[in-house]
Amino acid sequence: MTDSAIRLDDITHRHTPGAEPALDGISLRVDPGETIALLGPSGAGKTTLMALIDGRLRNWSGAARVLDEPLSSLRAPSGAARAEIGFIFQEFALIDRATVRQNVLNGRLGRTNAFSAFFGRFSAADTYAADRAMADAGISTLADRRADSLSGGQRQRVAIARCLAQEPRVILADEPVSNLDPARAADILTLITDAARQRGATVIFSSHQPDLARRFAARIIGLRDGRILFDRPAGQVTDDDTDKLYRDAPAPQGDGALRLVV
Amino acid sequence: MRTSDRTSLAAGIIIAAAVLWAGITSDMSAERLASSGGRIADFLGRMMPPDPSVMPEIWKGTAETLRIAVLGTLGAVILSVPFGLMASARLSPGWLSRPARFILALIRAIPLILVAMLMVGAVGLGPLPGVIAIAFHATGMLAKFYAEAIDGVAPAPIEAMESAGAGPMLRLRYAIWPQMAPVIARDTIFRFELNLRESLILGIVGAGGIGFYIQTYVRSFQYDKAASVTIAVALMVVIIEGVNALLRRRLS
Repeated sequence: MTDSAIRLDDITHRHTPGAEPALDGISLRVDPGETIALLGPSGAGKTTLMALIDGRLRNWSGAARVLDEPLSSLRAPSGAARAEIGFIFQEFALIDRATVRQNVLNGRLGRTNAFSAFFGRFSAADTYAADRAMADAGISTLADRRADSLSGGQRQRVAIARCLAQEPRVILADEPVSNLDPARAADILTLITDAARQRGATVIFSSHQPDLARRFAARIIGLRDGRILFDRPAGQVTDDDTDKLYRDAPAPQGDGALRLVV
Repeated sequence: MRTSDRTSLAAGIIIAAAVLWAGITSDMSAERLASSGGRIADFLGRMMPPDPSVMPEIWKGTAETLRIAVLGTLGAVILSVPFGLMASARLSPGWLSRPARFILALIRAIPLILVAMLMVGAVGLGPLPGVIAIAFHATGMLAKFYAEAIDGVAPAPIEAMESAGAGPMLRLRYAIWPQMAPVIARDTIFRFELNLRESLILGIVGAGGIGFYIQTYVRSFQYDKAASVTIAVALMVVIIEGVNALLRRRLS
């Protein structure tokens, strides 16, 4: 089958050899344009699974294809392949001293001519994609502000706009609303899912809030201890399903599943 | 007696012994100490009024001090790039970064005036030994700062750009450089300020600059001229500090 956006077969990964698996035999198919929530307690493997799809995870077993490109357990995908997958980082990962516009244009670096971009020149297509992304994220008026002068909520919108400017076919959002009050959480998820729908992109977001997952995703995948507990249309996910995810779950210890390493 | 009490007692005995030893052995009789107040007052009186006729020498000395500081800082920057890269814990393996850091600490431990005296011995009088001494001495601090600037770059934005498909050159240009450049600029300006201040005295050991005139006038008892030069030096330091404070604020 070649028309899946994502196809994973029996993926297993351990952060360190001999440790409990962080991903334990995950198999999964995602069609283009789907909106999926990954639900589960901290340490369930949500971030690790998304890092795998983003091409950042090494040392796993199984078979994985993303947008018809096979992923390698040994090395990162090509820049062109990575540009097709957008990732909204939980900590935003902005350049503090750069302007909002430059931070959003940074999302174009995998798409644009590298030589021109090195000398600070971006194409009309880049500028258009960045302007549209900033407008969708509601930050057009902040374009010339430095990122470190923004509030936390505004910074998150910059991170989302950077991802949208990338024009990815798959958008991965790691805990986009974990620290937000319910009204803001709904705003952010509306922004991400609407923008993705307009662009025909597949969305996977992780969360540990079942009500938000039901409201914004068409399909919910419940993860616990690196295994898929259930995978159903959002309307068929029962309270019993979500209870199983969290029952006797250890207390959250920060979503430390994947540490940034250089 | 508790351990902390014993420590305090031992510290008190050591300090008292040090003061006693220095006072008894340093040939400072009570009469000499008492009369020195009058002598200092007399000395200061002979400095007044400062002699303004030395303005040409002041300009010449100031220009030379500035030249030594600029060229010395340039030399330090050129040396600090490779040493900074070597001393970076992130870029270099431990077998390289640890010895590099140790060497930089050793360089920092040698006072500038000592380096300048050695360089005067090696290459002769004039501004050249001053430039070499400044470049050598300042590298000890600047290369350490550069290494810290490299190690202080946040990895998350680099990873985010890699995830968006940016190649290594673009990551360097848009993720690493914007984080590093302001830190490096600020450190270099700070080191330039220190170099200028420290090079004011280099002339005393014959390594060029305005310090030469202070030494000349004091040795030849022309205290009014020495006073003019001293005022010029103080003014220069105040101006440098003001300019640098402005620059640093813009880079924060």
